Amino acid sequence: MNTDEILSEIRDANLQYLLLAQQMIRQDLPTAIYRLGISEKVAQLISSLTTSQTMKLAANVTMLTRFRFDDSTILGMLTHDNKESFQSKAHAAILLASQPVEEFA
Amino acid sequence: MNKKNKSILDESKDIQLAIELIQLGARLQLLESETSLSRDRLVKLYKELRGVSPPKGMLPFSTDWFLTWQPNIHSSLFLGIYKQLEQNTPLEGIQLILKAYKLYLEQLPPEEGEEPVLSLTRAWTLMRFMSSEMLVTAKCKTCKGEFVAQPLMTRQYICGLCDVPSRAGKTQKVIDANQAEKQSKSSS
Repeated sequence: MNTDEILSEIRDANLQYLLLAQQMIRQDLPTAIYRLGISEKVAQLISSLTTSQTMKLAANVTMLTRFRFDDSTILGMLTHDNKESFQSKAHAAILLASQPVEEFA
Repeated sequence: MNKKNKSILDESKDIQLAIELIQLGARLQLLESETSLSRDRLVKLYKELRGVSPPKGMLPFSTDWFLTWQPNIHSSLFLGIYKQLEQNTPLEGIQLILKAYKLYLEQLPPEEGEEPVLSLTRAWTLMRFMSSEMLVTAKCKTCKGEFVAQPLMTRQYICGLCDVPSRAGKTQKVIDANQAEKQSKSSS
């Protein structure tokens, strides 16, 4: 994959993320807040974007979303082969639920 | 609430709520405490929806269940979702429990034909134990996740997923399934 292709994939991922998030927020706000890990204010902002604002935001060539597991020990534990899939799935879900949501600073 | 003054609209909301709760497996005690419908009407509604009378008898009144290995994982996930919704959404009361329970079921769906490990009634009981501080949350010192724990047992807490007990999840059913799998592999 060359650089141009990567940048275009990033824009695609950004747009897909924004469109999906908007749909989730409009359908069921509390569920979307939990699934996306964002605060109510961030959710309201995302869903209030106009189409052209959404396109502009998505056109960024850096990723809009961030990896939610930022601890290498935990990540190692969750992806460890020895664990049954129930355990790693449950563990990841519990850890994500224990994290604070993304908020405006 | 004065039942004579109850508006038809309120009653219809209560019935809708009761239907949802019954469909998710709520016991009568939960229904009585969360709706203002009479016991008779709830029993009738239960029969219409499920085709059988609601189970009789007391709810299990012990915190022990929530502390055993597998139930603790399921309860802790439910509690985590509950707390996140409580902090970040306008939901409260039974609506909050309902939403958290549905999201829990999505994350750890029961196997086909099986009941969920954590029933709605148990989830509701858990929140009562939490509010009376008969159970509390403890932060695992290894993974920093939050888990249901006994009061006074929260220091230096290590969760059942970081330190999996050797017999964890080894119910007779799991052992049987593993053996059946081995046999089918060796015969093929």
